[in-house]
Amino acid sequence: MKVSFPYMGSAIVYKKLFEFLEHEVVMPPKPTQRTMDLGVKYSPEFACIPLKMVMGTYLEAIEKGAKVLVTSGGHGPCRAGFYGDTHRNILKSLGYDDVELIIFDAPQDNWRAFFRNVQKIRNGVPWHKVINRMYTLYRFVQKLDELEKMVQKIRPYEVNKGQTTQVWNQIHEKFDKVKTRKQLYEVYEECKQMLLSIPTRKVDEKDRIRVGIVGEIYVVMESSINFGIEEILGNLGVEVERSLYLFEWINDNLVPWILRPKRFKEIIKKGQRYIKILIGGHAVETVGHIIDFKERGFDGIVHLMPFACLPELVTQSLIPKISKEIDIPILSLPIDEQTGKANMLTRIEAFIDLLKNRKRGKTREIFIDNIQEDVQEERVVMV
Amino acid sequence: MKEIYIGVDVGSVSTNVVAIDRNVNVLFKTYIRTNGQPIDSVKEGVKQLKEALGDVEVLGVGATGSGRQLAGAILGADVVKNEITAHATATIHFVPDVRTIFEIGGQDSKIIIIKDQMVVDFAMNTVCAAGTGSFLDHQAERLKIPIEQFGDLALSATRPVRIAGRCTVFAESDMIAKQQFGFSKAEIIRGLCDALVRNYLNNVGRGKNLEPPFVFQGGVAANKGIRAAFERELQSKIIVPEHFNVMGAIGSAILAKDYIEKTKTRTNFRGFDATDIDFSTSSFECKGCSNRCEVVKVSMEGKVIAMWGDRCGKWTNSL
Repeated sequence: MKVSFPYMGSAIVYKKLFEFLEHEVVMPPKPTQRTMDLGVKYSPEFACIPLKMVMGTYLEAIEKGAKVLVTSGGHGPCRAGFYGDTHRNILKSLGYDDVELIIFDAPQDNWRAFFRNVQKIRNGVPWHKVINRMYTLYRFVQKLDELEKMVQKIRPYEVNKGQTTQVWNQIHEKFDKVKTRKQLYEVYEECKQMLLSIPTRKVDEKDRIRVGIVGEIYVVMESSINFGIEEILGNLGVEVERSLYLFEWINDNLVPWILRPKRFKEIIKKGQRYIKILIGGHAVETVGHIIDFKERGFDGIVHLMPFACLPELVTQSLIPKISKEIDIPILSLPIDEQTGKANMLTRIEAFIDLLKNRKRGKTREIFIDNIQEDVQEERVVMV
Repeated sequence: MKEIYIGVDVGSVSTNVVAIDRNVNVLFKTYIRTNGQPIDSVKEGVKQLKEALGDVEVLGVGATGSGRQLAGAILGADVVKNEITAHATATIHFVPDVRTIFEIGGQDSKIIIIKDQMVVDFAMNTVCAAGTGSFLDHQAERLKIPIEQFGDLALSATRPVRIAGRCTVFAESDMIAKQQFGFSKAEIIRGLCDALVRNYLNNVGRGKNLEPPFVFQGGVAANKGIRAAFERELQSKIIVPEHFNVMGAIGSAILAKDYIEKTKTRTNFRGFDATDIDFSTSSFECKGCSNRCEVVKVSMEGKVIAMWGDRCGKWTNSL
């Protein structure tokens, strides 16, 4: 079976999953303008941008020969629940009758359907091998996320602009070749050394700015749709951490409730201070993470939401109240198919200025240590 | 020889160039329509400055506005800063106890909240340009009223007329409907000012506590009709600073001054001869990876002097 999947964040993880199950994998291309054009053209106008982007990705994967598309469903009252069926209908209307769409909904919603899907993608690989390889994959995701968190803490202080991102791309290539757990740990150590050897500037603890990125999973995880916000912030000298990482997502969603890490339950509990009922999407988690970031001493929050996303609109309307009550600045950015970066950059830059001022207690202070970011906002080298 | 700091604000509608001295006295200011030619308008502004001030020593240059990268590259700016920070910097200097700044320009409208001389919150219009200068220009054009007379005409109206403010398209069809009811131009314009201010406060100022003193700046602050509408809506006096239409440029000049004084460095200013040099910009899509970045290239007499827009730094660092 030629298998493909939506592209979101470190997509090599999904590729590994299907490689371990001995499928022929069609790697979907990272979303570009063309992906968006295709998605927008064939999706309903009122749908949110993740649905359109995933649609575009499916069409590009089918062009590359994919016959089976595997994705996760949504649950709760948000539109993500109908993504799967909408995509299926669109594919049918375009005449791709031979393409199968396998949608994994939360196991507890329908155990029988879940296992039917598992059997489909298990591809006849013996169970003991499946379990062993899935454990390897679990560790694979964990190690990759650990490295990514390092990247996000090193990038703001790199001496040679752009180096961290280059190393991160190399790490992806190295991880792509991993086949066994032994290899994984070796590659992990090697990559860690690569990151640690990047020359960085020493910045005083009191001048470090930390920003948490929260919001709907697709726009938070996929850099092609969010303007590469992690890099933008990193280049402005800001450490970032997302509310979502694949490893945590797996722990939170695929591990049975009883065994789930305590942290996830705590985040949900924090979120329920403001949103008491389940409204789908990631609204409760978003609010929970905002509070969690504040408690962990972060300076500000960037909240990403697909334009007209129901759960995140609820979050957005709560933001002034939350921001005031727990005293942390929050910048909400709606994301749709716009390409102009100027407006977005102005907002982000002004927001970072605001965070720095809060820390230093002055608007006009130019800071010698951070002079690079303080006086030149986007990287421009002038001769 | 006078020592000056130059500030440049390149926006969608106007390009402003100012010169300040060490004590932030404004020695020169000019307001030029950008007309889609940012390079020419920056050159023109700097030329005018040179003619007005004669022999001066430039100690530092700041650039702001949506064209700040470009202006910075052409002039050799020391500080390139977003317009929110620049505007706030200038306002805090002239009105130290300011709490709320209304800034309405050609296509952007912003609200900046200040506390203890510090920006604590801001908002900027997202998808809608209702109430910005461009829309007012367009309506003045349609009613055949010079934009300079727009404000006085609005003040002459005796009755208010309700115009829908939610969206400029609706506002325009409402205005036409009211014309057909027989309302005068003056009354309709006053109604429009009310609608735009209402929309701006609801849309941009959503969920924010607006505290006086209020300062109103940006090109639209020239419009007495809008000023009056603000005062009616907020039931409070509005301060319009003397240099209301060039506050962004003044702010960037102040930031340049702070930076130069603090670091004791020499300016990167290319000199006044830069106004005679031939600059050109072009952009291309980098095909190096799937990001497909739109890279901007600025050339000076055929030689590439600045590049930006690439996420990996491949082009930026290639110079």
